[in-house]
Amino acid sequence: MQDSRPPPAPPAPPAPPALRQSPSGPRASLAAHTSATGVVPAKHTVPNFRRMRRIIAEDTEWSLAIVPLLTELCIQNIIRNFRDNPILKQLPPEYQQKVLNHLPPDLPLAVTANLIDDEGYWRRCCMQRWPVCHVDQHGGSWKRLFFERHLESLLRCFIPGTTDPNTILDLLPLCKAFVRSLHVDQLLPPVHLPPTPRTAGDQSDSGSEGEAEESSSDHYSLGPLVAGLSQLEELDLVYGVKDCGMNFEWKLFLFTYQDCHSLAATIKACHTLKIFRLTRSRVDDEKARILIRSLLDHPALEELDLSHNLIGDRGARGAAKLLSHSRLRVLNLANNRVRAPGAQALAHALEHNTNLLSLNLRLNCIEDEGGQALAHALLSNTCLTTLHLGGNELSEPMATLLSQVLSVNTTLTSINLSCNRIGPDGGKQLLEGVADNKTLLEFDLRLSDVTQESEYLISQALQANREAARQRALNPSHFVLPVTANGHRKSVA
Amino acid sequence: MNPSPSSGVLEHNADEDLSTPIHAPSIHSDDPQERIQARRLRIAARVEARRREALGEYLDGKKESEEDHSKSYKQKEESRLKLAKLLLYGTELVTNIRVAIDVREIHRRVEEEEIKRQRIEKLENEVKTSQDKFDEITSKWKEGRQKKIPQELWDMLNAQQLHCAGLIEDKNKLISELQQELKVKDDQYVKDLKKQSEDISLLLERMEEQVKSMMKAFRQELFNIEKAFEVERQELLTSNKKKWEWALQAHSTKELEYLVNRIKRVEDYEQQLNKQRIWDSEEYLIIKIKLEQDVQILEQQLQQMKATYQLNQEKLEYNFQVLKKRDEESTVIKSQQKRKINRHFALIDDEKFREIWLMNEEEAKGLISRAFDVDRIIHIQHLGLPWTAPDFRFLNNVGPISQPLQKSATQIVEEVLRQTEEEEEEEEAVSNPKSYLDLPKQISAKTTKKILMLLCDESGFLIESKLLSLLLPLEKTECYLLRLDAIFSALGIESEDDLYKLVNFFLKYQAHHGSSSQGETNPRDGTGTERSSLMSGVERRSMATSLEQRSLESNFLRTSLAPGSEAAEQTALEEGEGGKQEEKAAPASSRLIHPNDVLKILEAFVIGLRKPRDFGAPLKVGKDMRDDSKDSEYWEALTTVIPAAKQSLWDTLYTALERYHLVLTQRAKLLVENESLEQQNAELQSLLQQYLHSKINSKLQVPPTQVFRVPTK
Repeated sequence: MQDSRPPPAPPAPPAPPALRQSPSGPRASLAAHTSATGVVPAKHTVPNFRRMRRIIAEDTEWSLAIVPLLTELCIQNIIRNFRDNPILKQLPPEYQQKVLNHLPPDLPLAVTANLIDDEGYWRRCCMQRWPVCHVDQHGGSWKRLFFERHLESLLRCFIPGTTDPNTILDLLPLCKAFVRSLHVDQLLPPVHLPPTPRTAGDQSDSGSEGEAEESSSDHYSLGPLVAGLSQLEELDLVYGVKDCGMNFEWKLFLFTYQDCHSLAATIKACHTLKIFRLTRSRVDDEKARILIRSLLDHPALEELDLSHNLIGDRGARGAAKLLSHSRLRVLNLANNRVRAPGAQALAHALEHNTNLLSLNLRLNCIEDEGGQALAHALLSNTCLTTLHLGGNELSEPMATLLSQVLSVNTTLTSINLSCNRIGPDGGKQLLEGVADNKTLLEFDLRLSDVTQESEYLISQALQANREAARQRALNPSHFVLPVTANGHRKSVA
Repeated sequence: MNPSPSSGVLEHNADEDLSTPIHAPSIHSDDPQERIQARRLRIAARVEARRREALGEYLDGKKESEEDHSKSYKQKEESRLKLAKLLLYGTELVTNIRVAIDVREIHRRVEEEEIKRQRIEKLENEVKTSQDKFDEITSKWKEGRQKKIPQELWDMLNAQQLHCAGLIEDKNKLISELQQELKVKDDQYVKDLKKQSEDISLLLERMEEQVKSMMKAFRQELFNIEKAFEVERQELLTSNKKKWEWALQAHSTKELEYLVNRIKRVEDYEQQLNKQRIWDSEEYLIIKIKLEQDVQILEQQLQQMKATYQLNQEKLEYNFQVLKKRDEESTVIKSQQKRKINRHFALIDDEKFREIWLMNEEEAKGLISRAFDVDRIIHIQHLGLPWTAPDFRFLNNVGPISQPLQKSATQIVEEVLRQTEEEEEEEEAVSNPKSYLDLPKQISAKTTKKILMLLCDESGFLIESKLLSLLLPLEKTECYLLRLDAIFSALGIESEDDLYKLVNFFLKYQAHHGSSSQGETNPRDGTGTERSSLMSGVERRSMATSLEQRSLESNFLRTSLAPGSEAAEQTALEEGEGGKQEEKAAPASSRLIHPNDVLKILEAFVIGLRKPRDFGAPLKVGKDMRDDSKDSEYWEALTTVIPAAKQSLWDTLYTALERYHLVLTQRAKLLVENESLEQQNAELQSLLQQYLHSKINSKLQVPPTQVFRVPTK
């Protein structure tokens, strides 16, 4: 909408056309100069401490000249009028840099988005808007950081039916080349003012009551936006309200079928997507299956995170099917309702899988039956490195089988069996298994009724393995030391 | 967990903090000195930081090069393990919260499930009992329908009502129970929220604590490692220092040893040197004495050799002198011989020339006389003209055209000398029969001789000293002759003319000076000499020849008149034109010429002579040969004795005679032809006669005789 606005300042136009016609000619700069002096007298704010010093070593642009240079005036004029008449690419490089250094960070994105690539400018923009910026989480690009966070903030505050959807779609042409990942930790439901007083009291006690209103409480449909983002690789969504506190209502956390279908279509259409996360959104079996069906044979997907949902065995079965129909490397189903059948299905898929590196089934209830199935699968699997089975009601039989797996498997590096009921005997058996293993680096057995002794011995064995791994990493070349140390620390963390 | 170090804000702030220390001089100060100070501090800090960095790197490099046994390595390894352990425990501590919550959640879930199960059971029981009750109630309704008695019905209805109320009460009780449970759950939710926030705060606390402790631990370990390194460095330093000192000491002791050795050796060498020096000087003296003796002997020998050499030289010089003399003699003899041979060859050549000349002349004259004969015949016989023999005087000439011979100056001189001698003799004998002296008559031979003698005496410097010495033993006249020869060759006098000119010059000079001294009498003479010197060589010669011819004539006269006496000669000379004064002056002059003037005269003469001599040069070539010009003229004249007009006459005559001869020959031919024709005619007539007279004629009907007339003779 900035584009359509006519240039308001009447004296400004004469200069820009001249500049546009011959950007590097002396006449152009002269014209710019005359116009600049004619319209706005150059203000050179001299700080007190500088007085009349000839040289200031800290400021390369300092000049005692009372009459500023013509180029200086031109640049100032360009900066002043940049909003209405952005001139940048036509300038010689050194002046471009000068202009970029002095542009205000609050210029409309319509002007700057596709014109300015200078990281310094976008860094200033980011600094001005957010106190803390982790640029390395955005590929080291300040511009990308700016657009991603800008888009995320818009999505977080979007209220369907109230906010104009164009606020997001207008941004699309400006940011589509830069946005690679989207982390939206809340999606607001539509606001229904009339029914609120009615449902305030006794009707909100049941989870099923939301279904009556389901059709009217759809969230913002990401379809058009994601279709527009040609570079999108990572999508992290939470269909829920953050920090609701005592204003909790079930309908705030309603992931409707409509939402599910639109999301499924969206991710199916997005062929660049590598990481898809949908957490804390009360996704049940049906919805999980709808989503997973759309992800079958996805060309790029590598990580799927459906943790903190309500997925049961059917959903797990769907995930198992996805395992054999994609190149998934990381699967996270933590804190769901997967039981033994679901685990068995996953184990079956895992048996012949060669892509999956990490499987997380924390806080499910697969029990010994499912655990044993997974252990059997790991006997033949040679790819999985990380397995998290914390809080799954596992017990001694599982430990027995796992110790066998440990003595055979050479790929697993990290196993988590915390919060299970392994028992002292199980601990001993696991110790035997770990003793035969040379690759395992981490084995979490906290709060699983294992005796302190075996836990200590296991940690000793793991320590030995870690040292060996470190030596292995060191030996090929001495210079990898910091890298491996770093990696080691990270993996521990 | 750990805040990213690349966070721009932090970095920036840190930078600013660094750049503006609180109490240090500020770069924004107004005082330039303070600013300079501030910048210096900043630069120093930067340099220090860089140095430390470099040092750290250096230590790192050193670390790797060191073996496992070193203290620093041990410390490092220890620290690493310690830190890893700490990290592990720390993370465990932090994750413990999660695990605890997980366990709690599991327990909650279990309990929840249990409660849920109980609740469901209870509900189910409730449903069952209430259903029973409901069934009871409904079955009672049937009973009630059958009741006819109102009392009973009322009772039953009351009972029913009671039952229903009981049922409802049960239900209400259940509801209230459930609502109670819900309330409890709400409370639980609040508690959980509280718990959660507590947990989160705990988590945060622990994380922060962890970070702090980790930082502390890392710092501690770093400090330990640095300390270890420092200790190791110190140890290394001390050990190296010790080693170094030891080595240095060893080195210094060795050095000392060497020094002592050296001093000893130096002393030794000095002694040796002294000895050697003394010995050498003694030897030197001995040798010197010996050599001096040798030198003396050699000098004596040299003296002897010199004496012999001088002797030899004298001998050789003597020999050389002898040989020189001989050589000179031989040169004199050689020149004499040469002169003789020259004269002899000239005579022979003349003889031969004369013979050839005569032969050719004879032949030519024969041819001329024949031509004259022919001409005479032609004139007399053919032309009928009288012939007169042409008169050519040269035809009378016989032999080569005689020319007076040019004599060389020396010859003249010789003659003069001889003549004067003869004259003297003759004077003594008072007879001078052949006074054919060909001197110009103005100069007498005696004067000439006197002049020449004078010249000879005065200009001895012109003669080579060698010649002079040679001439000493010779006869007087011979001596003079050779001297004069040498003088002439030096002065460039070659011909007879030159000699006369010289003599004349002397005389004139004398006359001029004499007259000038006596009073200027003859200015003409001076002009005459000048003229003569300017005259061309050819003219002068012709003049000379004419003079000679005349002198010849006069000679004849003289011989016939009064030969011999000086007076007679003088008179004879007086007869020669224009020479009187000179003749008179001459005898006086010879006396008057002072020897001192000779050189002046000679100088003037040589200067005067040089000019004409330059263009008179070609004449010199033909001096010894005859003059051919007259010869060619003579022979040319011989060829033209028959003039060209006569020759053309002869030519025309010849052609006419040719034509005449042709006519005559034709006539002769015609005569012969005529004769033969006559003969033929006679024969033909005889034949005709025969035919006419033959018998056949008569027999013919028409006799030819009748047809034609017989020509008659």
